Amino acid sequence: MITITRPKLNYLNWKLLIALIPLPLPFILPKSIVFMLGLAFIFAVFVLSWDLVAGYTGEVNLGHTVFIGIGAYTSALLALKLHTPPLISIIAGGLLATIFGFVIGIICLRLKGYYLALVTAILPLVFIQFVNIYSGIFGGYEGLSIGIKNALHRSIEGRYYIAYGFMLLSLYAIYRVVNGKFGLRLKAIRDDEELAEGVGIDVVKHKVIAFCISALMAGLAGGVAVFYRLSVGVDLFGVPLMILIILSALFGGLGTLFGPLIGALTIYIAKYWVFMEVARAINIQQADALMMYLLLIVLILKMPEGLFGWFKTVRSKLPLRTY
Amino acid sequence: MQTRYGVAMERGVMLAAKEINENGGILGKKIEVVVADSKLKPDVASTELRRLAFDENVDVIIGGFSSGVVIASMDTLAEVEKVWMVACASPTVTEKVKEDYDIYKYVFRVGSTNSSTFPADLVAMLDFLNEKGVKVKKVAVIRDEAKWVADIMDQLRQILEVNGYEVVMEEVVPPTQEDFSTALLEAQSKADVIMPLIAHGKAASLVKQWKDNEIKIPLAGLDLHAVNPDYWDATSGKCDLEIYLAPSASVPAEINEKMKAFIEAYKKEYGVLPEAYSAYGCYDAVYVYKEAVERAAKAGEKNPFDTEVLIKYLESINAENPYPGVRGNIAFTSHHDLVYGDKFIRNYICQWQNGKQVTLYPKATGELIIQ
Amino acid sequence: MWEVLIIGTVIGGIWALVASGFSLTFGVARIFNFAHGTYFAIAAYLAAALYPTLGYFSIFLAIFAAGIFGLVVNVLIKPIRDREIMVILLTLSVALSVEQILLIIFQDTSISIPPVINGVVEIAGVPVTYTRIIALIIALLCLAALEIFIGKTRLGREINATSQSSEAAMMVGIDVEKVYSSTMLISAILAGIGGVLYAQIYSVNPETAFRILIFAFAVVILGGLGSIKGSIIAAFLIGYVQTFVSIVLGSRWSEVAVIAVIIAILIVRPRGLFGVE
Repeated sequence: MITITRPKLNYLNWKLLIALIPLPLPFILPKSIVFMLGLAFIFAVFVLSWDLVAGYTGEVNLGHTVFIGIGAYTSALLALKLHTPPLISIIAGGLLATIFGFVIGIICLRLKGYYLALVTAILPLVFIQFVNIYSGIFGGYEGLSIGIKNALHRSIEGRYYIAYGFMLLSLYAIYRVVNGKFGLRLKAIRDDEELAEGVGIDVVKHKVIAFCISALMAGLAGGVAVFYRLSVGVDLFGVPLMILIILSALFGGLGTLFGPLIGALTIYIAKYWVFMEVARAINIQQADALMMYLLLIVLILKMPEGLFGWFKTVRSKLPLRTY
Repeated sequence: MQTRYGVAMERGVMLAAKEINENGGILGKKIEVVVADSKLKPDVASTELRRLAFDENVDVIIGGFSSGVVIASMDTLAEVEKVWMVACASPTVTEKVKEDYDIYKYVFRVGSTNSSTFPADLVAMLDFLNEKGVKVKKVAVIRDEAKWVADIMDQLRQILEVNGYEVVMEEVVPPTQEDFSTALLEAQSKADVIMPLIAHGKAASLVKQWKDNEIKIPLAGLDLHAVNPDYWDATSGKCDLEIYLAPSASVPAEINEKMKAFIEAYKKEYGVLPEAYSAYGCYDAVYVYKEAVERAAKAGEKNPFDTEVLIKYLESINAENPYPGVRGNIAFTSHHDLVYGDKFIRNYICQWQNGKQVTLYPKATGELIIQ
Repeated sequence: MWEVLIIGTVIGGIWALVASGFSLTFGVARIFNFAHGTYFAIAAYLAAALYPTLGYFSIFLAIFAAGIFGLVVNVLIKPIRDREIMVILLTLSVALSVEQILLIIFQDTSISIPPVINGVVEIAGVPVTYTRIIALIIALLCLAALEIFIGKTRLGREINATSQSSEAAMMVGIDVEKVYSSTMLISAILAGIGGVLYAQIYSVNPETAFRILIFAFAVVILGGLGSIKGSIIAAFLIGYVQTFVSIVLGSRWSEVAVIAVIIAILIVRPRGLFGVE
């Protein structure tokens, strides 16, 4: 009998192996690179949480940094003023971000596609203005330091492992959400919203819930970032961060679980290590940011489905194997 | 780093390094300068500090223009255990050294006077105006939305009131603000003098609009940009008759022999006068570092470049044993601040006249012109 | 209160000029060009950089260069024109790239151009410089011209038609490509004029482009998409709101106030005041 099978990679083994790679790195790489990698892991959660909405409901939230910033500032202020322990502060930050996610979701998700994008794009600016105006409390555009006593861990290596653990947990959480019944319905909405309504799915409710989960994760990640790098600043609300998130998700491929993850790590490491080195080498300090934006332009024009999307297309074109 | 303050810092340090290397280096070793850019962002600063400390293995760090960034980075400094000689003004920096010496001892302020010296000198400036016949009593303050100012506002109000002045207006401006018309008009109607306290904001726009709108009251305060030699061009000459405080005597006027030599050397090396106040302080900083290391070696220390040793010998440069820099005698207080006074470092009262920067007090190179 | 009226009018005039080009692309042609601010910045910087050598001729060169860049952006957008989100992201990236390039070349310094005409006049006790009056006049002229252009000329009506449906326009024989490139060219030139005037009154630095965009966006949204007349009225309204908030609360609240206006409009009445859907 002839059996026709498509070549299948044994995903589980691959994944386990790859997951082990980051573990020994703190012993091999220079400390500042290890520090940067930890931040990359946290950044990956920013991207994964953004993709939950963008990749699975098709709504483009250009103000994702609002959740990150709220999580960050809330946790920082709790730790500074009320001396709450890091874990409680971070969770509180995540919860406040979720509340904002709910309010923003309810108000904005009924707007037409590009209107949603525009409104959400402007929201972070409001928060930045508030941080600047009330700089006594929030530290203004110069930021706040939360003190080394509040760090996730006294050593950089400790923080690196905590960040990595956080990333794995978040990845698992998204995996469960996306592959369960809820996720299935989200994909139905993404693929054909009217049909989904017709089949009886409450579109708005699902979108809002997705929005809230996205906000929760981003808020938690924002808090973790603060206790990782010991400072908080308006950069966590800013446009460059949002662009970096979008670039990463697009690069990896929207709506694919590992796409945004790989995209996030690649882009972050590219910007903060590779491009930085190039910028330093040619002695033009802004070159790393410029290269990022040019990359995004090229990506949008040439490869809008991203790396994983392209990968999927290529795979589907592979010839069938016969035995 | 892209700002003039960064450029001036880098050039000041490079010039000092070059001079020292040409004269045998520090204890025979040549200075190598490594440059990092905080982009005025605390998160970038903390990454860069770690890179300098761990990857580049620097012995000392010089710079630090933004008080906010420096304060936010002081914990990182404790983590990486390197000395940072800074040029920022906020009193909080050295207060933290006093509060928790063991964690924050790594910071030394050398490039600017503590901004808490500004209020007294701003009052002196107003007194000076009154002495010369300009009747000034009601003050309109237009200030940066930044830490260095916020920290001294209460003090400034108090000291102004104690000396018979009245603060009738306080306008806070973000660094991006372009239009000062409403603020200027309000000031003109309520006050006798406008006192800008601006280092980060668009002072040039303020000054241009002050002149363009023919505001009748004088502009006298702390406009950090006014110290820059190209301010005349930047304001298309509209800063004429602006009176300003030059922090820690960082102005291209020949107040002593060393300053004269520095200005000439800078001009020869870079073709221009020092772009900003930070050049002077950071130039001095390199020499102060050299002095500390040499004192350590002379006292028999085994490793004069070690951070703990460095701290001890920087502290030895105090009021009894100062180091003569280009701006005056440099000495550190017990919490690593610059000692302030006529024999040490002072803020200067200056005025722009006809394209030139003229010092009026303490050492005058010209006379006040009343508008 | 005279202050609010006079200063608000003058500021509104500038916004009207700056927003006029944006009104054309975003309001009429429905192209979400977030790089609109870059025309403004390029014109301002080029004029300031060339002024020492070429004098006031640099202003014309600068505006011309802005126009060319508008055509460049048009070419970049062409392949993805139908996907609005992508256009937003692409033009945003272009805007940020240009900002970085300007930062690299000119660093963080703000540039300005010496005003063409000096002097100030007092209106109801409020000093107003001649330059601002000129800016106001030029703005009103440009906007009036634009209104006539859209309503009366053939190209103008073609632009209107294309914005409603590009397929229908093509079927009727309109050269859609020409429409798009003309739209971008005109809007870029208008923004360039705005930039050159702004640099005479205030100063421009690489981040100004983005801030200008926010105000232009506020004007067009408030006035209503598709209505040039709406943009004019909205520009002055925003000017008055800004000035009023500056006097009452302090200038740093003015930007928040404007953003709040945008958000409120988008949520409550996305059509704006005179919007044509």
